[in-house]
Amino acid sequence: MNVDPDTNWQRWQPTADEPWDLRRVWHLWRRAGFGATWGELQRDLWDGVDASVDRMLTGESRSDGIPDGFDEMADVIGGAAVAARHPERLKAWWLYRMLFSPDPLGERLALMWHNHFATSNAKVDDVVLMHQQNEIFRAHGRSTFDELLPRVVKHPALLVWLDAEANRKDHPNENLARELMELFTLGVGNYSESDIKEAARALTGWTVVNGQFREFSQYHDEGTKTILGHMGNTAGDDLLDILLSHPATARRIAWRICDAFMGEDAVSAVALDELAEGLHNRGLDLGWAIETVLRSRAFFAEANIGNRVLGPIEFTIGAVRALELSDPPPSTFLLAEQVSRLGQAPFYPPNVFGWDGGRTWINARSLVGRGNLAVALVEGRLRSPEHPFDALDLARRHKVPDNLEALCGFFLQLLTGAGADAQFADSIIAVATAEADADDRVARRMVSAILGSPRAQIG
Amino acid sequence: MLTRRDFLQASSVVALAPSVPSLLRRTARAAEGGNNERLLVVVQLSGGNDGINTVVPFADDGYKRHRKELRLPGDRLLPLNDSLALHPSMQGAMDLLEEGRLAIVQGVGYPNPSRSHPVSMATWQSARLDREEHRSYGWIGRGLDAAPNLRPNVAGSVLVGDEPTPLTLRARKTASASLRSIEEMLSFNESGRSLAAATGDTNDLSAFVQRQSLDAYATADLLRSLARPEGQTASSYPSTALAGRLKLIAQLIKADLGSRVYYATQPGYDTHSQQLPRHSRLLRQLAGALKAFVGDLHTAGLGERVLVLCFSEFGRRVAENASIGTDHGTAGPVLLAGSPVQPGVHGQTPALADLAGDEDPEYTVDFRSVYASILERWLGIDSTLALAAEFPQLPLLR
Repeated sequence: MNVDPDTNWQRWQPTADEPWDLRRVWHLWRRAGFGATWGELQRDLWDGVDASVDRMLTGESRSDGIPDGFDEMADVIGGAAVAARHPERLKAWWLYRMLFSPDPLGERLALMWHNHFATSNAKVDDVVLMHQQNEIFRAHGRSTFDELLPRVVKHPALLVWLDAEANRKDHPNENLARELMELFTLGVGNYSESDIKEAARALTGWTVVNGQFREFSQYHDEGTKTILGHMGNTAGDDLLDILLSHPATARRIAWRICDAFMGEDAVSAVALDELAEGLHNRGLDLGWAIETVLRSRAFFAEANIGNRVLGPIEFTIGAVRALELSDPPPSTFLLAEQVSRLGQAPFYPPNVFGWDGGRTWINARSLVGRGNLAVALVEGRLRSPEHPFDALDLARRHKVPDNLEALCGFFLQLLTGAGADAQFADSIIAVATAEADADDRVARRMVSAILGSPRAQIG
Repeated sequence: MLTRRDFLQASSVVALAPSVPSLLRRTARAAEGGNNERLLVVVQLSGGNDGINTVVPFADDGYKRHRKELRLPGDRLLPLNDSLALHPSMQGAMDLLEEGRLAIVQGVGYPNPSRSHPVSMATWQSARLDREEHRSYGWIGRGLDAAPNLRPNVAGSVLVGDEPTPLTLRARKTASASLRSIEEMLSFNESGRSLAAATGDTNDLSAFVQRQSLDAYATADLLRSLARPEGQTASSYPSTALAGRLKLIAQLIKADLGSRVYYATQPGYDTHSQQLPRHSRLLRQLAGALKAFVGDLHTAGLGERVLVLCFSEFGRRVAENASIGTDHGTAGPVLLAGSPVQPGVHGQTPALADLAGDEDPEYTVDFRSVYASILERWLGIDSTLALAAEFPQLPLLR
């Protein structure tokens, strides 16, 4: 169901039919952050939508579990991963940031741009470059696309990934030119094969020397090129300018932002055009577009809630945060390994198209894997030393009455954003109490049952 | 042989599902729909296999002249015809040949061969001779990108093992997964599985996830039963790393995972010194694993759907070195195993007799011809899309 295009991106205000309730707070957190603790959900429910989105945008949304000196600690961890040239440690560094940063939206945007400029260390094979690229996504992820695009495209990680360091006038390589047009800017259908060939000529001379971007005029093809109707001795920077000013780029970026925050079939072609036009008119101001989407009627519409498959990282970080597994937290190494097995290895997207996302996250292996991850989390197997999660204690701390129905309702709301119909709740309670057991074990089984269920894969 | 459908019907999760009949029908139908897919299993022999001591040209005077320390005893060779024989350790391969399930392509290589491991391996993996093109995509990856009927929600290819994904499988679009052990596919969430069919929601997305969950747990049950001793078919696998990987691939195929290409590597072929015992062990492991795998799939009724390709990045030099080993060479044999093959020896065996001491045989079959034959005649993929040119196809398959 598509929402009315005329009102799509207008600011949402709660109504009697569409109230600012726990379900919508949870929705905001799952889409814009990585999921909230019970305390954060309650705080935002009380403070209202404007304050909640404000905090999300300014990087002050999280109030629970942020370590003192987060920035310094993150830099130490990242620096050590880079010094050791250790890809698994680099993955763990990013998971650490996603889990503990006070600015989860910033990390989500970094992930969005990682997916947009999907670069894999499987080929780049250089932790230093991958780390640098990731910091570009973080630093410029919500500035303007004019700021972001040249920094990413002229960075060695992307150039190595797309063979652009071998693009010389006597041996043009079209790989970067093609992906630049098809994936990073215009989108398919907005250029011809001839544009790609000519763009590859424009990009000749860009290369990488000792891990640094360099431009060599002796390798650059000085001849006249015709790209998207522009004729001249176009060089790489000129090409980027042509692409940035093309309206199709605004539409592709609008699509990317909707892809990151909106669910299945929640954005009509008209709405996309409207957002693209806004971006085009505002110099591709990413921050404007992100804020517009996150405050919009379309974002909080009934049709956009619970209509998206959670990705492995969203699923995992969301569960760890919701369950407040912070004392001690699970190992970020092991979490990185888990999300990799579930199909989303950070720094290793499957190909230049990035992760397909959506329903493709779901298959036999990933669902079984998510169920197993739920067990590993509640049994505390990802902590060192191993130490089971005290589900009952969490519920008591949040004043949940000591009965099965209340416990079930609490965990369903915490982990899926909504309560359940009686039949589903009964099934959960039946499963959790299938064996006569101590209360804490019953509570744990309740949590792993919910996290392993189809309901918890959607958000 | 238990099928996926048997498991869906018998599975405990189904008993709890309120709306199972329609879900079950849909899932079972989906499983049946894929059942005629032809699958390819690639075994990469890393390090450069000594083809001359694998498929031995015992009647060629050059073999006796160039191989003194490394000449295999004639009375123990496993003869293929009046001029060629398999290494004595390859009884498993010989058995396959006698069953009509082994094909050998002789002299496979490419012009101006590189003797560098990474360069020649990348040549074979990418099917591109130009080194500038070695870094982007692999021949299987490009092939799967062009494949007409890949299943949605399933990786096009699966690496079984703990190595990085090989260039062969790297694609512009098609996803490749890797799996280290069957544990990664088994369910340990007994309570979650019970809820697989009970969400209470009825919208399209929920129904999709619910259907996939039922399917996932049925697959996990099937794999668990296949992993149990009593679930194993008559074919018993040797306890080697390669056999373990092929056994896992067989389990995934039996569980109808849905990927089209499976990949495993057997390292260790870089035999520069003291070659005889090590090479003998490697070939015994290879032949034993292939025999067990092909036999297992045959027993499971899946033999007609699976073709195995074994290749190495180069052969080894004809002349042996001073360390009772061999150095990096050129062309070598490619093995194909499984019921679909046209059994026997294909291609032209390079002659060794006329070679000087520092020469190595020229290839007689371009490796891309082997790939083209497999892509076109087995996987039904336009080979020119994967190989960037047309190569003559060989009658390697029935």
